Parts: sequence; C-alpha cells; structure tokens
Amino acid sequence: MSLTVALSKGKLLAGTEALFRAARLPFPEGEGRRLVVEADGLRFLFVKDMDVPTYVEYGVADCGIAGRDVLLETASDVYEPLDLGFGRCRLMVARPRGAADGSRASTVRVATKYPRVASGHFLARGQSVEVVKLAGSVELAPGLGLADCIVDVVETGRTLVENGLEEVEDVAVSSARLIVNRASFHARRDEVAALVAALRRATA
Amino acid sequence: MNGSPHQRSQVPPGVQCFLGEEARRRRRIEERVVSVFEGWAYEEIIPPLFDYADVFAGPALAPRTYTFVGRDGSLLALRPDFTSLLAKIAAGRLADRPAPLRLYYSGEVLRYEPPKAGRQSELHQMGLEHLGGVGPAADAETLAIAAECLDAVGAADWVLAVGHVGVFNGLVAGLALEADALERLRERVEAKDGAGVRDVLGTVGATGGVTSAGVDALTRLTLLAGGISVLDEAAEAFALWPAAIAALGELRAIVDALIAAGLGDRLAIDLGEVRGLDYYTGFVFRAYARGIGFEVGSGGRYDTLLARFGRPLPAVGFMFGLDRLALLVDREALAAPEPEAEDVPSADVAGGLTRARALRAAGRRVRLSGGGA
Repeated sequence: MSLTVALSKGKLLAGTEALFRAARLPFPEGEGRRLVVEADGLRFLFVKDMDVPTYVEYGVADCGIAGRDVLLETASDVYEPLDLGFGRCRLMVARPRGAADGSRASTVRVATKYPRVASGHFLARGQSVEVVKLAGSVELAPGLGLADCIVDVVETGRTLVENGLEEVEDVAVSSARLIVNRASFHARRDEVAALVAALRRATA
Repeated sequence: MNGSPHQRSQVPPGVQCFLGEEARRRRRIEERVVSVFEGWAYEEIIPPLFDYADVFAGPALAPRTYTFVGRDGSLLALRPDFTSLLAKIAAGRLADRPAPLRLYYSGEVLRYEPPKAGRQSELHQMGLEHLGGVGPAADAETLAIAAECLDAVGAADWVLAVGHVGVFNGLVAGLALEADALERLRERVEAKDGAGVRDVLGTVGATGGVTSAGVDALTRLTLLAGGISVLDEAAEAFALWPAAIAALGELRAIVDALIAAGLGDRLAIDLGEVRGLDYYTGFVFRAYARGIGFEVGSGGRYDTLLARFGRPLPAVGFMFGLDRLALLVDREALAAPEPEAEDVPSADVAGGLTRARALRAAGRRVRLSGGGA
C-alpha cells in the first residue's frame, strides 16, 4: 500500500510541487478537480489547508504539508520533522493606521481566521479579548467596525496598506512544514523515512 | 438548575453506548487481554469508581478530572486514571503485602476530553502495574506482556516504540530553563521539530546555560527515532552527557533482553518520546499499529509516584485503550455474531418456563417467545 500525502490547493501548492519535483518524488500531473490522485507509488489527497493536519493526525493520510500558522491553530498532535522553507509569512496583529492602542481598552475585539492563536496571544498577556471568527476577508473587519484589530497572516503587507491597516506586532512566524502521523512514522518506518530523507535533501 | 435545555433522547457529548455485535466484540477483546494478564500471574484489582480528588492531583490529570463535593464537604473525583488509585491502594490497604505486587485492572475512567478517535469522556482502560518491580527485568516483562496482548487481539503490523525520559532530562539537566520554556522545548522535541527546538533554545540563549553543543544535541534528539541502531547513534551523540548515557544504558539492557526473547523486529526506538503523564521517570513506550493513526497503548516506569502515598517503591506499568483496540483489530478475526438460541413458546407460561429451564440445565441458549408486548 502506498503512502498517502495530504496537500492543500491553497498558497502552498506551487512550492510543494517544486519541492517534490526537486526531490524527484512523484507528483500528480494536471489532476484537474479530482481530490484523490495516485501518482507512481504515492497517493495524494487535496483538502482545505486547515484540514491537512486533521487528515494526518487521524492517520487517513500518513504525511502532509501544512503551514506552521495552521499547525498553531489546529494544535494537532503530529510530528513536524521538516521546515520546508517556503511559504514564509508572519502571523501578526494589525489595526487601523493611527488608531489608539487597543490594549488600553478593557476588552479587545479581534477578527481572525485563527481564533485559538488570537485568543491565546492576548490572554497570555493578561488582555481580555473577544474573538470574532471569520472565514476570509479579515482585513475589512476593522474598517467596517466589526473589530478593533485583526490577527492574520501577512506576506508582503500590501493588502494591509490597501485596507488602511498597519502592523502592530508579530504573533508568530510561519513556513511550510512536513507533518507525519505518529503511528505511520513507526508502523511504516521505512517508507516514511525514505520520504522524509528525500524531502530533507531537496530542502537542504 | 438543569443546565442547557435538551431533547429527551439527547446524550451529553463524550458518552457511549454499546450493544449487540459491538458489545460482544469489546467483551471478547477484553477477555483476551485479561487472559494474557492472568497468564503472567497478575492479580485483578477492582478499585473504586471515585476517591478523594487529591489522589489524582497531578498537573496533567487534574484539569481533566470530574470532581464533585461529597455530603461531608470533601472534594471527590471520578477516577480519571487507574495508576494513581493503585499506587494509593498499594501504599494503604496493601501496605502489609510484600513487594513486588503484580496487579491488573479493566474498567472505565472518566475525563473531560474532546471526543476524538476512540478517546471519549468515558474510556475503557485495561492495564497492569508491577509495583516494586525493578528494571530492566520488570521493564522487559512489561513490554513482553504488551506484545502478547497485541497478538492476542489480532492487531496487525504493530510496533512498540520505546524511549527513556532520562535522555531528554539528561540533556536539559544543566540548563536554567523557566518551567514554560522547558515545556515548550519538550513539546517541540515531542513533535520532532528540530527547527522549533532551535527557536526555543534561541529565545533562552546563553543566559540559560545553553551551549552550541547543547543546541546540537537537543536538535539531534528530534532525529533519533527508528531502528535499534538509533541507540548507538545516540550513545555517540550524547557522550558529553553522563545522565543521558546512563539512561541509554538502561534502555539498551531492556532492548537486548527483548531481542533475545524474539521481539526485536517489533521494537522501534524513539528517544523523542518525552511527553506522557508527568510521573514517568525511566523507560516509556507507546504501541502503534497499522490501521489507526493513534497509539493504542502506552506505559513506562514511574519510580516516584508511590512515595507520594507513603510507600516508596519503584514501579512500571502500561495500559491499552479498549476503545482504540476496538477500532484497530480486524473485524473479521474478532467477529462476534450472535450465537444461536432455541425458541421456546411461552404462551403456556408454566410449560414454557419448565421447558426453558430444562434446556438451560443442559447448557442450551434459549429465547422465550410469544410473551412480548
């Protein structure tokens, strides 16, 4: 039985494909809309980025590629043996340019796709927080009065500027990680070790 | 007073109800595991379902424990774990019994826990404790029993991944780490995240006593998982840390005994196995098998727990989750179809009952029919 790899079709896909090609590992060619694709001894699942750690944690996929930002949010119990180096971004707090320091308010209202990370960040510093969970377009929230600030990933910062926001502080840095199911790591040791070694060489 | 409103048939999250084929299958798995425990001359103990809450007062368990106030105002807890209970009983009720004590249990524990793949709020654990058992003999015995249990329930392609908390503890012994930094470090080692280990140690820096050799060693720890040769690699890599070397020596003795006993190809070494309940002091292991993404059992040595209850004894033990084993084992191999039963008409109550009793006396399975609503 071949190893199953969970990937997302989101922003990490191009980097993942480049890495697999560099490592001379199979990768599906023009797979179209299919969500389960076999390619020369590997089986690929294409799922939502926030779901990649879940598929791996439950062992439905043996391995996967997920951003550290997603792993922080899902807090999945998986091995993370490789920092793959691509997909670099930062999770940060941003608020409207020139707005008063939100930390003086008794409770900060924050819009985010990362409720666990966001609430953890503020609560750890003794700041009460109300998290507004959004599925996307988080940058709009402060301007429309839905939230005082946002916690989101930023690569270049352009979207922030276009929405009248400025970065206030970093919460975490992120990059793509190889993740491995804990049982697969041991029960399918040889196959998993070969995959990890191939990706490690291609990353180095 | 009644909490949130709910439908009449609604169940609270985390509870389970089994019947028919599933219940019979669980019972069959339990019987097989228990018969292995009995076969190694362990004695069954049926501990109470609740006890004083301070019995379970470890930082790992306490937040997950269901507590309630007894009529006399004392704080009580539904057992979240058997090991602490057995330690207390060994130190109290069984104080006069000479060590070693070989005890096993099979029953439910209750925990506040988000339901997840065979991990409900109500879990059925089957395990044993060897109190007063010293390593490597007792450690190797424990692993051999766990191995036999996995075979007995028909698990496929299973592996026992063994480690030793003394390796990690030996590597961090010289560091002045705050508790939260140590916890973050442990968590990153457990995730085999070498980059993350470097990040954590980077934030601590030289003020925490972190040397570049120490960073390299702890990063290396995330790679030391695989076949038995990992032990040699580790001995070379950690030569500067005598406590880590001593732990590797203990692990080596256990592994050698298991290889000699024919279990070598079932072993994996995982020196990054550093989590677990906070009471482990020596070797630790987790059982994995193909077909389920989570460990099905775990255990290890805990030499300081019994002292908490006033009877300082070394100890080793492990447990399997029945719920996990039930997900794992081949449904064909352990299929438990309903046995045949003889239908006995009971329209004539006296006659039917007389006939049924005669069949029962002959050892037959009977089903009285015709008397239902």
